Amino acid sequence: MEYVNPLTGFRVDGRRPNEMRQLKAEVGVVARADGSALFEMGNTRVIAAVYGPREIQNKGQQVNNKEALVRCEYRMAEFSTGDRRRKPKGDRRSTEISLVIRQTMEASILKDLMPCSQIDIFVQVLQADGGTRSACINAATLALADAGIPMRDIVTSCSAGYLCSTPLLDLNYVEDSAGGPDVTVGILAKMDKVTLLQMDAKLPMDTFESVMGLAIEGCKAIATYIREVLLENTKRLECQRG
Amino acid sequence: MVGLSEGEKHFIRGGIAQDIRTDGRKRLQFRALSVETGVIPQANGSARVRLGATEIIASVKAELGKPSILHPDKGKVSIFVDCSPTAEPTFEGRGSEELSTELAVALQRCLLGGKSGAGAAIDLSSLIVVDGKVCWDLYIDGLVVSSDGNLLDALAAAIKVALSDTGIPKVNVSLSAANDEEPEVDVSDEEFLQFDTSSVPVIITLTKVGRHYIVDATSEEESQMSSAVSVSVNRHGQICGLTKRGGAGLDPSVIFDMISVAKHVSQQFIGVLDSEIAAAEAEADE
Repeated sequence: MEYVNPLTGFRVDGRRPNEMRQLKAEVGVVARADGSALFEMGNTRVIAAVYGPREIQNKGQQVNNKEALVRCEYRMAEFSTGDRRRKPKGDRRSTEISLVIRQTMEASILKDLMPCSQIDIFVQVLQADGGTRSACINAATLALADAGIPMRDIVTSCSAGYLCSTPLLDLNYVEDSAGGPDVTVGILAKMDKVTLLQMDAKLPMDTFESVMGLAIEGCKAIATYIREVLLENTKRLECQRG
Repeated sequence: MVGLSEGEKHFIRGGIAQDIRTDGRKRLQFRALSVETGVIPQANGSARVRLGATEIIASVKAELGKPSILHPDKGKVSIFVDCSPTAEPTFEGRGSEELSTELAVALQRCLLGGKSGAGAAIDLSSLIVVDGKVCWDLYIDGLVVSSDGNLLDALAAAIKVALSDTGIPKVNVSLSAANDEEPEVDVSDEEFLQFDTSSVPVIITLTKVGRHYIVDATSEEESQMSSAVSVSVNRHGQICGLTKRGGAGLDPSVIFDMISVAKHVSQQFIGVLDSEIAAAEAEADE
């Protein structure tokens, strides 16, 4: 199957190889949560809600009482994928992604400012079209910022792949299931540090460097967009307060 | 759940007694309703309903399946509810199973009728493709994204809107198949049959706080309830289902009164919902 048209250079959905899907973000979508956000990357739609910092519910889970406890759960709606999923929670993929998101966000949250408390991050996937992991991390960043939780930096994430000898940015579901390599990168935007790196399939070393470089550029572009959204949101709040 | 102080509880109860609730509504007044259709493109029909801060996304997916042996001339419908932990931190992991099951069963009772399939709001015989062999299986999924009370009413409204947005693809059956073989079906991508949702009921939940009942309670008001009665009423004013929740006992005359109040309120709510559906469809056509 032709993932990149050799004549025009367009991908299956009409994008160029280094073009990301359309981004859309909205802050404050769940009224009862301390912070929440809706993030869309093309057809992938994700809602993140943050509850915290609040009192630890289960003392047994607390490992270090000088730091906050960060918990995360990733869930997919039954209608989120093309075929109806019968068991959308508790399966191994969801558990793994919950763990990955938690570790990525923990790198940025200033946990020692909030000892003996817990921060819950809940991510709900409404529509899945590839790159759900990245969309969830971006949504979680916005939700944490909306909740006012102190963070070192904005965490953004993007994926990139390599099909038909071309590095491709931001794979959708069709390209992801093509069987080529899929590199997911999460970075702390301003500090320029990588907090998440995952890859499957195989890639020669120098190709890997160019694919990872492309993904990092994608992350930086998302960080610029997220900063704009947060600035817009703060201006709106400022107007409301008068 | 946010804890309420004694003063706040007193304020809520007093307000309800005086017909002015905490957000200024009257006892029998609904919150602002906003409706969007077609939010899930890969489903056959979908809707997103917001009732105040309560937000529900409902989707309807149709798949070809085999009808049950007891009812070879009817399709099948199943309703599932999922409460997302984004709505309430207690819904994480398996915390929401009890509530989801309770809501799903209440919806099934109101929309799907009894065990024999009699009295279903959706005409199940319209879902049959080949008698005894092939039928449409409808999977209705409700997702609670944000919860601020009155989940059952919002879910029923979302399912009604999603069904009105649903298009079942036309199926061409090849008649040359032998009697005991699986017939070949060709699902059309172009033509769709719209559902007739005029007989789908809505659910009105009346929450009793003190000596008065309110409609469309927020979660703070629900925490003060002694009992609640959910009545499912259709467009013709007929009752399609009834559930009573809460531990306090109710005098039978009170229940009859609540039912008549629910019937009266439901006609107004159905009117509002129908106009919102029409507006959403007009927007979708543009």
